[in-house]
Amino acid sequence: MISVKKVDNKPLGPLERIYLLEVARGLAVTMRHFFANFFNRKGMPTIQFPEQPSPLPGNANLRTRHRLKIRADGSPKCVACFMCQTACPAYCIHIEAAEYPENPAEKYPAVFDIDLSRCVVCGMCVEACPEDAIAMDTRELPGGVEARSELLLVKSALLRNLPGEPSLKGAANRLANEYLKAGGEK
Amino acid sequence: MPKITIDGKTAEVAKGTTVLEAAQQLGVYVPRYCYHPKLPISGNCRMCLVEVEKSPKLLTACSTEAADGMVVRTDTDKVKTARRDVLEYLLINHPLDCPICDQAGECGLQDYYMEYSRAKSRFPNEDKVRRQKRRALGPHLVLDNERCILCTRCVRFCSEVTKTSELEVMGRGDRSYIDLKEGKALDNGYTLNLADICPVGAWTSRDFRFKQRVWFLKKTPTVCLGCATGCLVEAHHNKNTIYRLSPRPNAETNTWLCDRGRMTYKSVSAGDRLVKGIVKNGLIELEPALREAAARLDEARDAAAVLGSPWLSVEDNSALALLARALKTENYSFDFSAEQGIKDGILINKDPAPNTAGARQVKAAAGGLSFSDFAKRAASGRIKLIVAEARAAAALKDELKAGGAALVVFAVNRGEVPEGAQTTLPYASYFETQGTFVNYQGFSRRTRPSVEPPEGVRPLWAMLTSLASYSGLSLGLNSGDDAIRGIKK
Repeated sequence: MISVKKVDNKPLGPLERIYLLEVARGLAVTMRHFFANFFNRKGMPTIQFPEQPSPLPGNANLRTRHRLKIRADGSPKCVACFMCQTACPAYCIHIEAAEYPENPAEKYPAVFDIDLSRCVVCGMCVEACPEDAIAMDTRELPGGVEARSELLLVKSALLRNLPGEPSLKGAANRLANEYLKAGGEK
Repeated sequence: MPKITIDGKTAEVAKGTTVLEAAQQLGVYVPRYCYHPKLPISGNCRMCLVEVEKSPKLLTACSTEAADGMVVRTDTDKVKTARRDVLEYLLINHPLDCPICDQAGECGLQDYYMEYSRAKSRFPNEDKVRRQKRRALGPHLVLDNERCILCTRCVRFCSEVTKTSELEVMGRGDRSYIDLKEGKALDNGYTLNLADICPVGAWTSRDFRFKQRVWFLKKTPTVCLGCATGCLVEAHHNKNTIYRLSPRPNAETNTWLCDRGRMTYKSVSAGDRLVKGIVKNGLIELEPALREAAARLDEARDAAAVLGSPWLSVEDNSALALLARALKTENYSFDFSAEQGIKDGILINKDPAPNTAGARQVKAAAGGLSFSDFAKRAASGRIKLIVAEARAAAALKDELKAGGAALVVFAVNRGEVPEGAQTTLPYASYFETQGTFVNYQGFSRRTRPSVEPPEGVRPLWAMLTSLASYSGLSLGLNSGDDAIRGIKK
């Protein structure tokens, strides 16, 4: 449903129509803020991003920089199924699949790139992942870099576990779990 | 002729037609796994159950013959429940490893589940029957027994089409699985068809494995140039790379495709793909190479010769004929003959070249020497320079040695170039440009470009046009079709 709001614009009065008074009033607002911040620097709401990190609200469920989760044996949980690449509306994910000779999980991403300069931080990749391998919970805000190339996240930059991981609870991949339980390649 | 009514639509069908085929003729789709139009009926998957009036039980549409006055319904609740239950049964032991399965996206289980079932599984994951996971079988395939639904299409293909019977269902009941018979190897030359006809991900191609998800692939209809059979195929490609070829079943030539034919796409991006010219043995840029070839052509002029090729399209052979005409030489030949006919009773032709018949068409329009006369002139030294396609020129190896004629050849891959070629020029392969090929049955078939040629590389007729213009001749070609029109003038 689209809601339509009708704005009742009053016609300008004779004083407003001269504009000079209105210009002075506008400038007065600007100057008030300028002097208030000039004499009270600490009260200024601006921060120096990205050098000075912005504190994120405590428990907010935010979408932040991506990461790829890691299994207990150090392999990525990702099996290169291309669901995230397919779901991505910004075409920012590039995957190349490869095959494990030993691990019965069979498939892993040899290349996994996320181009943050294209990413629209919509979280579709996380929704689409059948292996629970990609997450956007690093609480780092992407952006504020000097070169475009710094916004290209490659596999090694994406692989990261949060404290308390890897947890085997609820892991989706039966084959990988059995392999881990059996002790990997030993 | 029995008259059959399916979902209210009535039609008369030929005697012996099954209910499933009759439904197909009437435009009613009946889901199926084990049924394949070119394989014997098996009736084991139970997916095609339909309700037939006066029959107490549901019948399998694939194995029930249409009878006069038969009234069939495929849209009743009973049929819908049956389909859902059959799917539930087939999925009980299915591992659901779609994320790592190459069949995902063109999988019968996925498609029918979305279409006919959408039920939640009632069976815990841990209780599923385990079977052997990936196992390489034969030179081209991977078998995953766990994903198999035992439709036996592969078993029937090997026993009925290739008649080699490598595969069999081993074990009984829920322990059945598909396996190789003892002492057999899965290398009958048509094995990749198993990956095509397998409705699930049990048989997958080793060549295509994990290269690309199928839903990214674009499909271009084209022709296989592996031999004179000229099977209709589809090139599956994405982002300017071809990933696989698969057959386009047709009544005239082919339902299947041989393994060798499927691998022909590899020459396009092979390591020895030519993108520059070669003079003697050194790679040089394209334009200098063309200028070098033109200089040789200028030296030889009426002692130059042009040889057509059964590996080139009708267009490109015609362009070669026009070059001979522009050179005003009578040393040219499009006379190729080879024994035609299916060698193995399935698809592979006795003639390895795809366009022998097409070259003969060019000969009919443009004339020229017979191949033996041409070879004699080359051996006698009357010919100083030959412009030819690499594989056709390779047939003149001894004559060239005897007569000492220089050779300017066109090649797609460096491996085709015969020894002693003076100048080699690249041209766009028939996956990158269109060309007409005439197969052994006399059908004219056109290849369609599915990928872009490497930078600077053009179709052979265009390369010939540049070559001719560098030596002051005009072929007057703006397209391959111009060449065909040109030789008829």
